[in-house]
Amino acid sequence: MKHFKKLIRPYLIWSFVIIVIPILLIVLYAFTTGGNSVLTWNFTLDNLKKVLEPTYMNVFLKSLVLGVITTVICLIIGYPLAYMISRFKEGTQNLLIMLVTIPMWINLLLRTYAWMNLLADNGIINRFLMKLGLSPISMMYTDFSVVLGLVCNFLPFMVIPIHTSLSKMDHSLIEAAYDLGANKVQAFRKVTLKLSMPGVINGIVMVFLMAISTFVIPKLLGGGQYVLIGNLIESQFISVGDWNFGSAISFLLAVIILIAMGIMKRFDKGDE
Amino acid sequence: MNKLIELKNLTKNFEDQQVLRGIDLDVHENEFLTLLGPSGCGKTTTLRIIAGFEEPNSGQVLFNGVEISKLPPYKRQVNTVFQKYALFPHMNVFDNIAFGLNIKKMDKQVIRQKVGEMLELVGLEGFAPRDVTLLSGGQQQRVAIARALVNEPKVLLLDEPLGALDAKIRKQMQVELKKIQQEVGITFIYVTHDQEEALSMSDTVVVMNEGKIQQIGSPTDIYNEPENRFVASFIGESNIVEATMIRDYLVEFDGCRFECVDRGFGDMEPVEVVLRPEDLDMVDPGKAQIRGTVRQVTFKGVHYEIMIETDKRMYMVHTTDYAEIGKNVGLTFEPEDIHVMWPMGSY
Amino acid sequence: MKKSKRIFSKLYILICFLFFYLPILVTIVFSFNSSKSLTRFSGFSLKWYGELFQNSEVASAVYVSVTIAILATVISTVLGTITAIGLSRSRKILKEYLLNVNNLPILNPEIVTAISLMLLFSSFGMTKGYLTMLLAHIAFCTPYVITSVYPKVRSLDPNLANAAMDLGATPAQALTKVIIPIIKPGIYAGALLAFTMSFDDFVISYFVSGNGVKNISIVVYNMTKRINPTINALSTVVIVVIILVLLAANILPRLQRRRKPGRSGKKIFRRVAAAAAACLVLFGLVLCQRSSQPVQKQTLKVYNAGEYIDPDLLTQFEEAYDCTVIYETFESNEMMYTKLSSGETYDILVPSDYMIERLIKEDYLAEIDWSLIPNSEHLLPDVMDRSYDPGNVYSVPYFWGTVGILYDTTVVDEADLAEGWEILRNEKYAGNIYMYDSERDSFMVALKALGYSMNTTDQGQIQEAYEWLTDQRDTMDPIYAGDDVIDNMVSGNKALAVVYSGDAAYIMSENPDMAYFTPDEGTNVWYDAMVLTKDCTNTDLAHAFMNFVLDSEAALANTEFVGYTSTVRSAFDAMQTTIYEGIGAYVPDVDNENNEIFVYQETEIKKIYAELWTKVKAK
Repeated sequence: MKHFKKLIRPYLIWSFVIIVIPILLIVLYAFTTGGNSVLTWNFTLDNLKKVLEPTYMNVFLKSLVLGVITTVICLIIGYPLAYMISRFKEGTQNLLIMLVTIPMWINLLLRTYAWMNLLADNGIINRFLMKLGLSPISMMYTDFSVVLGLVCNFLPFMVIPIHTSLSKMDHSLIEAAYDLGANKVQAFRKVTLKLSMPGVINGIVMVFLMAISTFVIPKLLGGGQYVLIGNLIESQFISVGDWNFGSAISFLLAVIILIAMGIMKRFDKGDE
Repeated sequence: MNKLIELKNLTKNFEDQQVLRGIDLDVHENEFLTLLGPSGCGKTTTLRIIAGFEEPNSGQVLFNGVEISKLPPYKRQVNTVFQKYALFPHMNVFDNIAFGLNIKKMDKQVIRQKVGEMLELVGLEGFAPRDVTLLSGGQQQRVAIARALVNEPKVLLLDEPLGALDAKIRKQMQVELKKIQQEVGITFIYVTHDQEEALSMSDTVVVMNEGKIQQIGSPTDIYNEPENRFVASFIGESNIVEATMIRDYLVEFDGCRFECVDRGFGDMEPVEVVLRPEDLDMVDPGKAQIRGTVRQVTFKGVHYEIMIETDKRMYMVHTTDYAEIGKNVGLTFEPEDIHVMWPMGSY
Repeated sequence: MKKSKRIFSKLYILICFLFFYLPILVTIVFSFNSSKSLTRFSGFSLKWYGELFQNSEVASAVYVSVTIAILATVISTVLGTITAIGLSRSRKILKEYLLNVNNLPILNPEIVTAISLMLLFSSFGMTKGYLTMLLAHIAFCTPYVITSVYPKVRSLDPNLANAAMDLGATPAQALTKVIIPIIKPGIYAGALLAFTMSFDDFVISYFVSGNGVKNISIVVYNMTKRINPTINALSTVVIVVIILVLLAANILPRLQRRRKPGRSGKKIFRRVAAAAAACLVLFGLVLCQRSSQPVQKQTLKVYNAGEYIDPDLLTQFEEAYDCTVIYETFESNEMMYTKLSSGETYDILVPSDYMIERLIKEDYLAEIDWSLIPNSEHLLPDVMDRSYDPGNVYSVPYFWGTVGILYDTTVVDEADLAEGWEILRNEKYAGNIYMYDSERDSFMVALKALGYSMNTTDQGQIQEAYEWLTDQRDTMDPIYAGDDVIDNMVSGNKALAVVYSGDAAYIMSENPDMAYFTPDEGTNVWYDAMVLTKDCTNTDLAHAFMNFVLDSEAALANTEFVGYTSTVRSAFDAMQTTIYEGIGAYVPDVDNENNEIFVYQETEIKKIYAELWTKVKAK
């Protein structure tokens, strides 16, 4: 017991240096004024107040909604996929999971460009539709194209954790549930779903966190009018050069996310 | 019999909770010793200290006279059967049992033979290649025992090993465990909260509560001569009555004086008396000093449980005789049925 | 019934995979495109593969990506796994603390992590390069490993390790023989995620690396102007390699099994070993190529915009002067400034006018010794002595141009052009417009349309311009696009677009229906120029480089490759009679006195523009 306790020490130190200190820097920026070259100690709440203006709050809301939609769709598509994969032989399972992962090794920008190519007004899909004698559909720069891009990109992060918790599940448990008179839906709900809950939670958290702060995909597939928190923060740090305001936005984002995670944890009854 | 393990004034704290408050205990060779008590009494902690999973905050653990409390578990000559068996799910039955031998880098041939013998001992011949996660609870239990015993420990520690089994298999396993213990001839230290299990299997029962040992004795002693109210109420059903020890061999309660077999409590001392329900007899009211009315009758299979209300209290009686509710009866008992003990709080 | 279910689930998996692989398929197909376009397939060609294997930048990026990804995966998997195991045994407060800290890198937008790590490394005085990139990758990969492994550890019977030790295993043996084999699926999943995150990372890698260390993503992102299919070719190669490794890993054990039946644990091990071996071979190959490069030579560090030089020039210069050019690229002037202000050092930068003004003001630049640049006599007079650097004390003009409107001659009525910038509010073309997604360029359009200076600091004028833009947004429904405009306009997706003249010239050369004009109300004339930093130690070599770039032949090659307007007379003239003959966009309109050059604005004004621009875009 006590032997293993020590195992967290390296990470305790590491995470303090490389995660906590940098975050504290950001928090410091959020509450101070005055440029990015020299850190000043003029404390202010103006940055946070500015974030709370309706324009920026709308951006937050839009990002949250998009994050939730993406997460839900990933869950709806990803759970059955993970479940079906977990029913194959072990070797096949590994192969399928690899196949889910490989697309991620191709540069994100390239994959997004490929989607643009597919969805454009006279892109591949529309040309195909026209060949079939159908009228073309405008797909680019819409909510549809953005959500599609996000789901395609984040789905593996939902499938992998769910599959991990399903793969080692004892199938006899489900048989036992049938044996005890549960019907299929009940057996699934009470046994399969329950046992895969850690993976589901894990997947939801990862997809949601990534979807909420993304900016490359919405920018390319949704156009510049698709302003999300990620874009806002990026532009503050890069083009405007207002690191204090950028830090304030990300600080608020972190707070919102931590609250959301707190709520998630209530569903995660597996702890102790 | 030789003392194999001696625990000397063990204490243990978790965070700021004291779970062991000075445990002194001797365990002998070939003994089947049971640590019995309600959950949170410190019995499992005591076992884990013997196994080496926990270190005591103070006190000593002697093994054959040598202090071992700082020795890591893998250097101790004891093995453990865990509550939920803790079988290794990624290994089959054979590999689970052979684990300890493989760690010792024994010859493969020897391992195969030893594992075979163990499987036979626990009645699982032919199960070697099975997946442990697909075994029934009872079978997993046997694998866990075999996995521990194959290392030929001096002492086998069992932590509520039958807790997860259903009643019938449990009874059967009790008999088998006892048999195995006699066959291999080593010391078993057994932890349970089930008093019936403790009484039926053990040579010695150690009753614990709130981090302290309440009583050490043979099952009969523990049952018949509980040293205090806790032991009396934890082991079996009992009527516990405040009483006064008038002098040796004479005790007074409910306004009557009774002869008894206890002595050495002093004169006119407040004590408590235990009367086991099965030791009480219902007689005609005229033939007894204590009289009351039948208030409740419950059929318990072999006997009836009858609640009799006197003007002082309610008595519980176990008897094969039936009694009508509302009937007036008298209660009698023999002097040796009266167990006198110190009252709560004075130990 | 069971069979139909099986078919259904296979079909479902197939559809999902189609969804995953559709963009990959497109990527592969376009790697064989004969033109640069990523949206229009104009013919089969292997030329991008040829370029790929000649491109040393890509080769070293592959090396960096692969080795960083492997190292970061291995280290973060080990670190994450032991931490997850330790966590399950830790006290509640410690556990909560660490799990929350662990979530921070996942939940923070990458840009925040990137900037904060950059600040950290700078404050420790670490030179940015391979090591800092590796450390950063370990930092953001480990949390993914922990989130994958920890739930597995938590679901274990806490007595398993005790049981192992009870049976004589040391703590280390208990870990390796019992705990780790049981949580293996979680470890694999974590490692896979870590590798994926590391391999595809751009933002963090960009800010924490330097000194020429680039991974594939950095190379790709810096080809912002026109991503060329070399990267598609690279991706195709990556996919083929992965598939080969997978096939090998799946077939080899099967062949072996035929000879000798093995247990499933070993099967996985063998598979992983095979994959690892294949990676190592690849790694070794790249390593050989890399180590064959010479080491000690004088070096020159150049920081330029992406896709903004003919790479042959660099090799020629290296050969001519027996030196090594460490060439890095940026996506925007502001990104360049961010890195520069974090303490990164370069010899030569190629920023734009307003940024040069800022760098001069903030004392980053050294004066140019024009006597060392004899080729400067070829420079066009139109590009010299401009407001951002009067007398060209600090800057040597590199490319220049204007911002204007590109229009589809088959859709747009020539008569409407007389409206100038207001054509962008002509409702005939509603829903048929690309605006440029940058606050300065968009406000320039609005301010010019209203007849104001594009460098105004007058709140009232800015407010009017804001209203112009919101009105345009509401009535015209424009798309605010980035560099994707280029491919879109080549395909003729919309009728009008605000573009840079250099991009317009390229689009017009690809799509003859397109034409370019700069309204009479005036527009932004911009200049990109080479400047020398104060950090430059080898000023002779730096001047030699600038001189080399202005050489007639080199300048022509450069303008041909990049497509932007040359500042060197001979090249400027030659282009107008050769590839860009008749393409007006190549020749900036210098006679309009309403034209202006951007001046550097203080952060306060920039904040106002940025805020209004956010309001315009986010309705």
